[in-house]
Order: sequence, then structure tokens, then C-alpha cells
Amino acid sequence: MPLLSSADEQLLKQHLSTITKEVTLLLFTQTFGGSETGLLAKQVVDELAALSDKVTVVEKNFVLDTEDRAKYGVDKSPAIVVLSDGEDTRIRMYGAPSGYEFVPLVEAVLLAGTHELELEPATLALLAGVTTPVHLQVFSTPT
Amino acid sequence: MAFANPHITASAIEATEFMELTRRYQVTGVPKTIVNETIEIMGALPEEMFVRAALQLPDEPAPPAS
Repeated sequence: MPLLSSADEQLLKQHLSTITKEVTLLLFTQTFGGSETGLLAKQVVDELAALSDKVTVVEKNFVLDTEDRAKYGVDKSPAIVVLSDGEDTRIRMYGAPSGYEFVPLVEAVLLAGTHELELEPATLALLAGVTTPVHLQVFSTPT
Repeated sequence: MAFANPHITASAIEATEFMELTRRYQVTGVPKTIVNETIEIMGALPEEMFVRAALQLPDEPAPPAS
């Protein structure tokens, strides 16, 4: 049973039609011993990717694909790494992006696909001054 | 933020799926942001305020009274 209604799909298609870059969602899951939400995460990203020919899902095995895990710094699953034209956007999502978590996923895809930042000029100026590593971990829930 | 500067990485974490992290960072409400393992930001702040908090920058000085 699909997660997205046909009305949601139509709306999302409109938003995703603005994408000009190739967006790749690397989905890291594990079959045994991992979170039970890996399948849900896969269904969410698959349904989203089906709405745009610019969005692709590439599945990675959290246990076996250690090189990719190291490359993208993925330390838990399920994980989604967002790439733009093959380049790392440094945006990660951990856990199934369902419920309210779906919106940040769509926003990340749109950002990776359009490179249009919605930040204020003053904020961008502050961010331009960052010269040392900053790691943000944002905790939220689907409800 | 991560997209705007190559030094910044951003992870959105589903709190109920990763209870060990939720406990480690004492996430009792969401959204809660942890910056470089040490700085805690509770709630959804206005954009510039959030960035200043995350980067540990002082608040913008108030404009001089006229």
C-alpha cells in the first residue's frame, strides 16, 4: 500500500519539477540486527524518487559497504545520504523519514536538486565565516 | 547550513529510533540540536538566532537609539 496519496504525489511532482541537478539518495540499511524501519525508509525514498526522473535511490548495505560508510561517515542505519550531481551535500538523515520527517527529506532533495538556498543574506554571511568543522545533529520525531 | 559551507555537516536524527543517542544527549523535547557534541539548542529558533547559537557568535548589537 503506497504511503503517498495521489494528491500528495501531484503536489510533490510540481515541486520536484524545479530540479535541474541529478539527486542521488544513498540509502544504507541492514537486514539483520538493524533497525526495523529500514523497509519503511526504502518505501519512502522509492516513492519520492518515482516522482522525478532527476531523483535516484542507490541502496547500500550498512554491514557490507564499509567503504561507502567510511566515505560518507555513516555510523548508524537506516541512513540517507543526499548527493547532488554525485557530490556530497553533507546532509544526512538517520531513521525512516516518515510523518513530519518527510518534509525535511523533500527539502533536502529540492536543495540538492536546485542549489537554491532559502537562507537570509545575513545568515549566509555568518555561515561564510565558518572555517572549522561544525557538526549539527538535529533530533526530531515523526509525530 | 551544511549546503552553504563545506565545513558544516548536518544530520537529522529520528529521536525515537536511536534511543542511545537520545539518552546520551538528554533529548527530552524536539527539535533539539547538538553542535559539535557540546552545544545544545532547544526548540526551533529564528534562522539568524539559530545560526548564532550554533556558531557561538554574539547576538547582533542593537541599533543605536535615535
